[in-house]
Amino acid sequence: MSVLRSHANPGADEFQENLRANQRLVADLRGHLDRVAQGGGAFARERHTGRGKLLPRERVDRVLDPGAPLLECSALAAYGLYDDEAPGAGIITGIGRVSGRECVIVANDATVKGGTYYPMTVKKHLRAQEIALQNHLPCIYLVDSGGAFLPRQDEVFPDRDHFGRIFFNQATMSAQGIPQIAAVMGSCTAGGAYVPAMSDETVIVRDQGTIFLGGPPLVKAATGEEVTAEELGGGELHSRTSGVTDHLASDDADALQIVRDIVSTLAPRAACPWDRRPVEPPAVDIESLLGVVAADLRKPYDAREIIARIVDGSRFHEFKELYGPTLVTGFAHIHGHPVGILANNGILFSESALKGAHFIELCDQRRIPLVFLQNITGFMVGRDYEAGGIAKHGAKLVTAVSTARVPKLTVIVGGSFGAGNYGMCGRAYSPRLLWMWPGARISVMGGEQAATVMTEVGQSEVGAELREQYERQGHPYYATARLWDDGVIDPRDTRDVLGLALSAAGNAPLADVRYGVFRM
Amino acid sequence: MFETVLIANRGEIARRVIRTLDRLGIRSVAVYSPADRHAPHVREADEAVAVGSYLDIDEIVTACRRAGAQALHPGYGFLSENPALARACATAGVVFVGPPPEAGELMGDKLRAKELAMAAGLPVVPTFTETQARTAPYPLLVKAAAGGGGRGMRVVHRAADLDAALASARREAHAGFGDDRVFIERFLPRARHLEVQVIADAHGTVLHLGERECSLQRRHQKVMEESPSPAVSPPLRATLGDEAVALARAAGYVNAGTVEFIADFDDPAEHYFLECNARLQVEHPVTEMVTGLDLVELQLRVAGGEPLGLSQDEIRFAGHAIEARVNAEDAARDFLPSAGRVLAYRRPAGPGMAGVRVDDAIEPFTEIDTAYDSLVAKVIAHGADRAAALARLDHALARMTLLGVTTTAGYLRGLLATDEVRSGQIDTGLIERLELPVAPFSDEQIAQAAALMTLAARHDERSDDPFDRADGWRLAGRRAPSWWPLSVGGGAPVELRLDDLGLHEIERTGDGSWAITSAGERREWSYAVDGDLIWVGCDGHAWSVRRSAAAAAQAAGADGDLRAPMPGQVLLVHAAAGDQVRAGDPVVVLESMKMELVLAAPMDGEVTELNVAVGDRVALDQPLARVVAPS
Repeated sequence: MSVLRSHANPGADEFQENLRANQRLVADLRGHLDRVAQGGGAFARERHTGRGKLLPRERVDRVLDPGAPLLECSALAAYGLYDDEAPGAGIITGIGRVSGRECVIVANDATVKGGTYYPMTVKKHLRAQEIALQNHLPCIYLVDSGGAFLPRQDEVFPDRDHFGRIFFNQATMSAQGIPQIAAVMGSCTAGGAYVPAMSDETVIVRDQGTIFLGGPPLVKAATGEEVTAEELGGGELHSRTSGVTDHLASDDADALQIVRDIVSTLAPRAACPWDRRPVEPPAVDIESLLGVVAADLRKPYDAREIIARIVDGSRFHEFKELYGPTLVTGFAHIHGHPVGILANNGILFSESALKGAHFIELCDQRRIPLVFLQNITGFMVGRDYEAGGIAKHGAKLVTAVSTARVPKLTVIVGGSFGAGNYGMCGRAYSPRLLWMWPGARISVMGGEQAATVMTEVGQSEVGAELREQYERQGHPYYATARLWDDGVIDPRDTRDVLGLALSAAGNAPLADVRYGVFRM
Repeated sequence: MFETVLIANRGEIARRVIRTLDRLGIRSVAVYSPADRHAPHVREADEAVAVGSYLDIDEIVTACRRAGAQALHPGYGFLSENPALARACATAGVVFVGPPPEAGELMGDKLRAKELAMAAGLPVVPTFTETQARTAPYPLLVKAAAGGGGRGMRVVHRAADLDAALASARREAHAGFGDDRVFIERFLPRARHLEVQVIADAHGTVLHLGERECSLQRRHQKVMEESPSPAVSPPLRATLGDEAVALARAAGYVNAGTVEFIADFDDPAEHYFLECNARLQVEHPVTEMVTGLDLVELQLRVAGGEPLGLSQDEIRFAGHAIEARVNAEDAARDFLPSAGRVLAYRRPAGPGMAGVRVDDAIEPFTEIDTAYDSLVAKVIAHGADRAAALARLDHALARMTLLGVTTTAGYLRGLLATDEVRSGQIDTGLIERLELPVAPFSDEQIAQAAALMTLAARHDERSDDPFDRADGWRLAGRRAPSWWPLSVGGGAPVELRLDDLGLHEIERTGDGSWAITSAGERREWSYAVDGDLIWVGCDGHAWSVRRSAAAAAQAAGADGDLRAPMPGQVLLVHAAAGDQVRAGDPVVVLESMKMELVLAAPMDGEVTELNVAVGDRVALDQPLARVVAPS
């Protein structure tokens, strides 16, 4: 297997320009992440801790094994939405190890509007459950929420993928043997009461957690009964009388410890469907990634520069190197996990699409997870290409992407436009996880192209508007705010993020393959 | 000399006897109980025979016959002073390495030994008649003749108090034993424990090998022993030696034995015969180190009928030796025996360890249970003078690593550091009077070391799995603090937050050892893991640190309310409101459905409410008492 080498020249102006531009993007990202990590602001945090409660991030840090990494998902959800009053959409989700077991953790942030569910909160919660479902990861809900955000009830309550879906997911995951564990560390009102109630095993914090279908004001209005929140649905009541909860904790730290103890009683996880190898660091330093990745999306660079920096030993066994060269395909390892990598090196032609479809089938047969490094403006257009059947060849790639049973992970490293997004496993193709780099863009086509198309059809004014709109809506923060991805990542985190995701993905068994490999 | 010798013992003394046998080219035969089948003495002997018990004379003698042993060394404890073993050996034609049965029996009988001592001219504790007592030196002790357990016993400090003391002692004796006879004897309020090693051959040579001072005792268990005694002058040494020799001679004693005395703390010349030990003593190495003799070798030669070939003048005493007994006990919990598996054990090593001898019973992975003696190792240091010996002993204890079982090693260092021990102002009551700081480190320091070494060990393992990293990895180069709920030595939970690992300097110095520099101070720590337990050691101290503090968390999370688990009747009430209780202490006992239900304190704390009295009927779930943990 050949070892990739970098052809980048750190002394070159271009490298230095890229480096500066990408460092700015990463610093900006880090600033946003730091700000979001503060939740609902100093006042709300003080009020929260003043009640003897731990801050939500502290809860997450402490439920994890000491010092364990957290692969946080969609940290910038709801960015720029709701007047920016719901940082992180008021919920923290991620994959982390608890008592030696990879779990999905969902923690309400009560410092953000009392932990109520905005539309993006619901979406983020459901997405975390989807990650748990696809990867067979136990779910831990650290509940501290006032339920649906009432002013937006039409966006959070009635539809299929709204609030009720949370409980549907709990029931169906539990039925599949995916453990559901809840710790009630604050309010759990109305629909929210079902999060603990629908869990397999539940902890509640004494004099702090409450679970009820209707709170004291609602009870008084309905029946005239006057009752305190603690009497109505406190830890003592639910642990001794109602049986809604199974463990009574004295405080947050105790509750988190009990959750850890619960996880340690779970049945063992399934064996990883593929073999792991000892890890080798890449031969090319990942730090230099910021200098090789073009800050300007229009400037091409060799996708192997990325691969060389993220795979074990920079070893890459390339497949069909000489055929359809605008799509780089090949085998490698990331943190010891085998991977089949598909990386764009230009526009997709029929040959590249066929090559990609063939390669995906190979990986599927061999139980090798797929990693898509997406930087694609789209498929080639023009008479010859249409006549050559590029649509049907592209369809083969999309079919292969859609039906491959092995885990798929997508990193949008550059452009993600049009049908290229489909062929390269965009969000609609259910990759187990999908991330964007801060310099990436996503839209049905480039703003420039959209403007040109509209001008061509005689609507140049609309075209100018579209250019501005596409630029804005194609931005990674716009995308991540709406959960089109699982987070914007520092390009230098790519290898570790993929490694964590592969470890998590290895929890789910693989179905049988139904077809042989079609040579195309 | 013998060709094959069986050692009817276990632990450090079996190993120690095997060492001498090896050196003398004598085949050694060990015996072992089922629990000891992997013990070091079994492997180190040339042959080993399984026995059901170290106390079964028939089995032990049969083992001698099976292994072809001509002699049996009994060690100390077990059957060593049981004349039945000596007799069984004689019947079986096996030489017993110890005194002849008659001498052993005589010495073993305290009353007869005391009579013999008086006859041989040894001072015994004087007794007085009432009349004599009025003019005798005080303090005196009034004791019930039929007494025991301190009842009917009075210390009298001056003659004026004698009558009152006699009257009350008689009253108490009469009430307690139905017998109001009392007697009066000399009372030593502060006493030293001195003993003299003797060795006698079958040819009439009886020698003494100097004295040992064993005043550092805890509940009559010796903790440290030294030779010579810092309180014994050369003339007193000669007197003690002469007395011990005279007694051994009068008893017709052959082989090694020890004559014990108590001596007045202020004036050790005032000393009284206490008792005799007809065996090798645990503390014999200090005598070996100052005399240069091998007592086991002498025992074997004498038992084999050889003359000692030494005269008293040829016995030379060089320097000072002191022994510390490292026991599997928890000094922080009133010396409760501890058990477990030795996870790491390193004898003190390095420069400066010349003059240090370690007689131990353990090696890595030895299981220590509480069925046998708690002695795991004796560390003996020799120096040119007492101060040098003490310093060397302290250094050796600090350099010893023993993880997996709580021992007294750290406690012994604390004891060595006291002014009283350093100045030799020691008496048999000293240890019980002292209040030693058990650990020189705070729980936080210990927990932090445990956490840091766990991280460092994990880092060194270089796991393939990125989830195994423990640096609080988060996206975009950020790091979260890691939280370590730990509990040191079963104590209160410590919630440790490690923020930035870069602040702590940690460097691997060996297998299972790290140097941690914090606040500019560098210390060497040892580390071992046993499931949920992390063992860390530093400077001879060792602690078990429980990960996840499951037990502690449970206590913290426990409800302080004690409620009736069934309807029933209160049978007993063990505590009153305001009492301090420890977790597990019974508070209320209920009788219900013919069962006795003990309601125990869920945590350490104060009983703040006690709502029931004996005989009360209680309903299901009725709160009976409340325990509140100290905040």
